[in-house]
Amino acid sequence: MNQELYQYYIVDRAHRALRKPLGRDLGAEFASAGLCPEERMCRRFEIACAAETPAIMPFEKIVMRRSISALPDVFTEEEWETIKKDPYIHELGYVSNLSPNYEKIICKGLLAVYEESSKYQKRVIDALLGLCDRYRAEAEKQGREDLAEIFGRVPRQGARNFREALQFFRILHFFLWLEGNYHNTVGRFDQYMYPYFKQDMDAGIYTRETALELLEDFFVSFNKDSDLYVGVQQGDNGQSMVLGGLTPDGTDGFNLLSELCLEASCELKVIDPKINLRVSKNTPLWVYEKGTELTKAGLGFPQYSNDDVVIKGLERLGYDHEDAVNYVVAACWEFIIPGCGNDIPNISGVNFPLLVDRAIRAYLPTGGDFEGLIEETRKNIHAECERKIPLFKNVWFVPSHLMDLLRDGKKYNNFGFHGCGIASAADALAAVKTYVYDEKSVSAERLISALDANFENDPELLHLLRYEAPKMGCGKAVADDLGFWILDTFADALDGKTNDMGGIFRAGTGTAMNYLLHARKVGATADGRRAGEAYGTNFSPSLFAPVPGPLTDIESFTAHDLTRTMNGGPLTLEFDGSVFQNPDTIRKVAMLVKHFIDRGGHQLQLNTVDLDALKEAQKDPEGYRQLVVRIWGWSAYFVELDKEYQDHVMARQMYSV
Amino acid sequence: MKGLIFDIKEFALHDGGGIRDTVFFKGCPLRCVWCHNPEGLSRERELYIRKARCTNCGLCRTPCNHPDCAPFGRCLHICPQNLISVAGQEWECDALAEHLLRHKAIFDETGGGVTLSGGEPLLQADFCEALLLRLSGKVHVAIETSGYASEEHFWKVISKCDLVMMDLKLASPTAHKEFTGVNNDPILQNAKRLQKSGKEHLFRIPRIPSITDTEENLRALAEIAGESPVELLSYNTMAAAKYPNVGREFSRRIGKTGFEGDPTKFFQNAVCRK
Ligand code: SF4
Ligand code: SF4
Repeated sequence: MNQELYQYYIVDRAHRALRKPLGRDLGAEFASAGLCPEERMCRRFEIACAAETPAIMPFEKIVMRRSISALPDVFTEEEWETIKKDPYIHELGYVSNLSPNYEKIICKGLLAVYEESSKYQKRVIDALLGLCDRYRAEAEKQGREDLAEIFGRVPRQGARNFREALQFFRILHFFLWLEGNYHNTVGRFDQYMYPYFKQDMDAGIYTRETALELLEDFFVSFNKDSDLYVGVQQGDNGQSMVLGGLTPDGTDGFNLLSELCLEASCELKVIDPKINLRVSKNTPLWVYEKGTELTKAGLGFPQYSNDDVVIKGLERLGYDHEDAVNYVVAACWEFIIPGCGNDIPNISGVNFPLLVDRAIRAYLPTGGDFEGLIEETRKNIHAECERKIPLFKNVWFVPSHLMDLLRDGKKYNNFGFHGCGIASAADALAAVKTYVYDEKSVSAERLISALDANFENDPELLHLLRYEAPKMGCGKAVADDLGFWILDTFADALDGKTNDMGGIFRAGTGTAMNYLLHARKVGATADGRRAGEAYGTNFSPSLFAPVPGPLTDIESFTAHDLTRTMNGGPLTLEFDGSVFQNPDTIRKVAMLVKHFIDRGGHQLQLNTVDLDALKEAQKDPEGYRQLVVRIWGWSAYFVELDKEYQDHVMARQMYSV
Repeated sequence: MKGLIFDIKEFALHDGGGIRDTVFFKGCPLRCVWCHNPEGLSRERELYIRKARCTNCGLCRTPCNHPDCAPFGRCLHICPQNLISVAGQEWECDALAEHLLRHKAIFDETGGGVTLSGGEPLLQADFCEALLLRLSGKVHVAIETSGYASEEHFWKVISKCDLVMMDLKLASPTAHKEFTGVNNDPILQNAKRLQKSGKEHLFRIPRIPSITDTEENLRALAEIAGESPVELLSYNTMAAAKYPNVGREFSRRIGKTGFEGDPTKFFQNAVCRK
């Protein structure tokens, strides 16, 4: 590893202090000039490029980092208020969660697409080239012939070798962020970079070691400016890289470059890029062992997704085979298509425990049977989906000239709904079925009065529902089956529904931050959850489910078919660091992951948690700046998180030796 | 037939090859001062209260009508933090076998299986034998034992296991009696029988500072182990934490320093494990 580089960018982060604000209120300037959105985005890009100062450190091979800090918005707050009145604005309004087609531009160069570009895109390319030329001049000034030569070639022309291709990627990625897009994902890096890599390896230009070192230099570049790429929390920045997986010609794409990417991540132990590994029934154990080595590093990735399930599921939703085969993940785990995908996979989320709670409260007093309660829940889920669907009309994004240049049309315009609190909702239904209907040991009045009182009037009932009742993830068919019934019902409710862009709605198993936000919208629930307590993240057991172990956990969450709920959202297993002691135990974890995939699980996240370190880090944040945890689909430095996110990580069910 | 089991651990990593479930049998004739499963010692069901987190709210002491709470003088169904449980669950042999065979697919895929541990499984030799009759041929079964049992009990169980992992603790009879409460003669006899039997086996030596982890003892155990494979296990001090939960006191007799240097050198065929 390049120690100097690591020390400067990862440990000291000295460059961050050198950044300067742009110092202009562009929103106000543009507003008073009465500029259209296209002009504003173009002009901000030009201004930002001009304001950037090239910086090249003697110890880095892959360059480009930000010298101006946060970008001023192109609209004023008042303007946003007006804008938001008519179209639907998703999140921040800027384009996000896309997987651009880097491959095409890296191969052809920007000049090749210049003529066919719009007038704004031409200006954007000019500004971009202007800054790149200043990088070349700086390289010449510093006597860095290697870089001067590279910038003499890319990004005007296509890359000729691995190093040029890596630098080209860095340029494109850097400018996508500078344009103001966010959650700019990396896509199938090991596939589109492989020809360059292979050519240079075959020519003997790199050994395995020198290629790894260059790759590490490149990986560090994702972390140079990541503090400027903030999402819900620091670390939620969408720099997801996908490795391995089926290729369009039907072969397994896992190659030496995929392997080196895993190794680079493992050595550097930095949170970006976030590694995703595509696997299938045919993936050999050694690939899982490589992945597990990375899990051991404690970064909360790789996240695994199962080609056997995902591709089928996407095809079922109407994606063409050649696109489905190329799937990648968005910022967290939503399945999207690179290049031609224009999906908004996180447009909304359905709060299942709330819907189940409403059904219980409305239906139980009527004295009907359990089938009736199920029917009531079904109606609630359908009604909630029907209520939400029309909210997402006339979606508008701030125009994005450079991003458009990296896209191949907008073939898929589907909207994804997260499915939140599935386990809590299933557990609530299972508890009511068991105690109110089957055993008849708890009356409807008693249950509802306890829910109203947040169980304070009935500690015995709390204990029963919370700790003794059947729960999803514990091998209890009653709870697992209800969980999958909820998923099916969710898929039914969205089936055949379309949006005004001609797309469909996709049901998912992810929560995003809703494991906290949605949980606040409902009081105590019949699974023994007290008011204010969080749900499990994504497709995972509730925080207090007495899960007997990872085997049962996996069996429960793969009990039935998952191909209908293909928006994404993993089962998460948390392990104590002691589990990864030696090659033998690493192999066993790898076997466990393989078992999950072979059973038809769709997506899996494994975290290594050192609870003692987390406790210490809360007391002494400065001493634990490099401590990483996985949140809901991304990894973060623990001490940079708000406390409620920290506490949730510490409360999750953990497996130890 | 019923057996008393105090835990079933999925994905046990150090109890044999592949992915395994380990079944912990309740009750042990030994009282090793370092034992890290104090809830496995008594042959009876007993209260297990995670005292470190108890707020003394008193709820569990309010009288209740649950029949299962009666023997314990505490209500088991009320603690808001779920700190109270009963160590020891009775399992019907068929039900336990069926429960373990649920994971047969992954055991087979990974060369794993089931491990019988404890406590001391041989203390429930008849139940073990009955369970083994239901498991053998279907899954790989390993056993972890102190070896402290009659020849009859020892033999009828281990002959049906695929792998035997047996502890060797102290070679000196007096020291063995002092630190484990029993004479080591039956253990040494069974160790010989095991070696002669041709069964796949492994001796395990817990390295307890100042007790078992001395040069003298290690050398003597190496004699006993001979060519057999040996695993030397380092001791972790976490053991003490569970003692108050079953109303026991942890011995203060464990010293701080053990053998320094590589203990495998005394043995013909040993590895160390953390
Ligand atoms: S109910 Fe729980 S917290 Fe309260 S005294 Fe009993 S064990 Fe302690
Ligand atoms: S033989 Fe094992 S279970 Fe029994 S007392 Fe000794 S250490 Fe504990």
